[in-house]
Amino acid sequence: MAEQLPLQFEFNTQQTFHNYYPGSNQEIVAHLQEAIIHRTEQLIFLWGEPGLGKTHLLRASCQLAYEQQQSSFMISLNPEALPDVSILDDLDAIESVCIDNIDAIAGIDEWEHAFFNFFNRHRDNDQHLILSASSPPVYLTVQLADLKTRLNWGLTLKLKALTDNDSLGALTFKADSLGFEISPQVGRFLLTHFARDLPSLWALLDRLDVASLAAKRKLTLPFLKQLLKTPSDV
Amino acid sequence: MSPIWNNCLAKLENEISAADFSTWIRPLQAVESENQIRLLAPNRFVLDWVKQHHFKKLEEVIHDFSNGALTLQLEIGSKQSAPPKSFSKPAAPVVATNKSRPNNLNRAFTFENFVEGKSNQLAKAASIQVSENMGKAYNPLLIYGGSGLGKTHMMHAIGNAILEKKPSANVIYLHSEKFVQDMVKALQQNSINTFKEYYRGVDALLIDDIQFFAGKERSQEEFFHTFNTLLEKKHQVVLTCDKYPKEIVGLEDRLKSRFGWGLPVAVEPPDFETRAAILLKKAHQVNVDLPQEVAFFIAKRIPSNVRDLEGALRRVIANAQFTGKPITTEFTKEALHDLISLQDKLINIDNIQKTVAEYFKIRIADLSSKNRRQSVTRPRQIAMTLARELTSHSYPEIGDAFGGRDHTTVINAVKRVNELKESDIKVSEDYANLLRTLSH
Repeated sequence: MAEQLPLQFEFNTQQTFHNYYPGSNQEIVAHLQEAIIHRTEQLIFLWGEPGLGKTHLLRASCQLAYEQQQSSFMISLNPEALPDVSILDDLDAIESVCIDNIDAIAGIDEWEHAFFNFFNRHRDNDQHLILSASSPPVYLTVQLADLKTRLNWGLTLKLKALTDNDSLGALTFKADSLGFEISPQVGRFLLTHFARDLPSLWALLDRLDVASLAAKRKLTLPFLKQLLKTPSDV
Repeated sequence: MSPIWNNCLAKLENEISAADFSTWIRPLQAVESENQIRLLAPNRFVLDWVKQHHFKKLEEVIHDFSNGALTLQLEIGSKQSAPPKSFSKPAAPVVATNKSRPNNLNRAFTFENFVEGKSNQLAKAASIQVSENMGKAYNPLLIYGGSGLGKTHMMHAIGNAILEKKPSANVIYLHSEKFVQDMVKALQQNSINTFKEYYRGVDALLIDDIQFFAGKERSQEEFFHTFNTLLEKKHQVVLTCDKYPKEIVGLEDRLKSRFGWGLPVAVEPPDFETRAAILLKKAHQVNVDLPQEVAFFIAKRIPSNVRDLEGALRRVIANAQFTGKPITTEFTKEALHDLISLQDKLINIDNIQKTVAEYFKIRIADLSSKNRRQSVTRPRQIAMTLARELTSHSYPEIGDAFGGRDHTTVINAVKRVNELKESDIKVSEDYANLLRTLSH
């Protein structure tokens, strides 16, 4: 009998605080939520290695701002293709602005100046800014000293890497959200055989979900090992 | 919130990538009328992007949810009041808060909550003089020094104190780049005369960070005339700059010379005691009881500027509020663990020796050598003092790092440099410059 083809639609999950697995980063989630809901910290600088969910947290913050009926705006900066600085024009009145990968502007004179001006205007308007980068402000190669000290002004939070237990918890959490169960045994197997950063784990689970649906089998260790024999499936 | 737009968002959320949705779609604000839905984009960039990439999709969902009753209009705008975009509307802050005044002054910055120390007492005294004798005491007053040392606070405090004394005074605070932007807009809109009248008509003009005028010739010229007019009328001008104006490359000589006409006063990085006092005051302002030993600990470990101190304090308070634990030195060490270890990586004895050697144009090896010429001994003593102030190394460890010298040599060097900082302006300046370089 031919293998059943699962329906190939991508459910485009919105990234919210509900579907973020915090692991040891509960404090960060609490501060971000507090900052949006109670308008506390005016500047939060979130940093950590790639793959820990910074983009997810920034999107979740924007979503929460929206739910709180606040205006919000998010830019994900790509160092390979920075947009024109005019993207920052007239954002002064936006209540929560989130800028992902702010390190991308370091050393680019036009961007540093434009962001510095935006920062001052936005702050003078009592609005809130959430930034993310892969290193802390003090390590950014920002040339404009006034901008560098400003980046250090706010609440700087470091995203902690996932421990093995966190990774296992993250797998169970994600599997649960996809509607299937994953045993600790399977979880440990995946963690010892595949990359353990969150994006890789999420992508792996998505693929396993499709494979188990196609085979109409539960995600057991024997099934997983069988899949591994044909690595292209996973 | 428009109910139709809400439905559209719920649908689009699942049909457009999360990245596109959060950047381009969610920020759009909807205004619904009888037969039209207007989607307001915050700026031209967003508008053009949405038009180019998502217009069809938007039209489609709006058509579906309104049963064809609504057409889509995309434009730039905001449902909130517009920000003060130009000199012609300076009296309308974007969001009325209890912190800001219509003239851009921040009420939170006053002389009362400015922590005075050796590093800034002259600047503070001059600022108070200016606020009490507007246009008569020192004109212009120029406050200069590194970033994050309280220049802007002082400037706002002057403006607030002037208004306290004379509420009808027309005081304007602005950043130099805002002056440039306003001028460019005025030129574009053919309203340069209104621009000139506006800025030349104020009682006190407070311009922050004049170093950003560098290389902008037309703005410098206009500012030159504004400056002259205000001074002729004995109206007050207060300026801040990150360095002594004569050192700014790209600033016209006539401006450099005029900026020095009144009183130029320097602000230096705060000393240890001032840093601790700043921390205690900032904590008090947010109703947090910060033990003195904790303030001393942070002040010792964060030797740079006020913004860094504030950032560290925020981290400690936020962590205490989250965990519900009392703020003790142990707790603070843990809360600032990342920050301190980063600071330690950035500021170590090797780095200090390298920076000092470069500054005095000597070889790094000279600092550890037996060379006793003053051109070498003074930098060596300064490097030892910086190592003592900026790192947690003991006297014997510092001695070891400087060619195996005895710890008493380091103690004497630190004592000597601290004396010279009081009596010799050159040593005091060199030390402040090095401290600034190492702390950034």
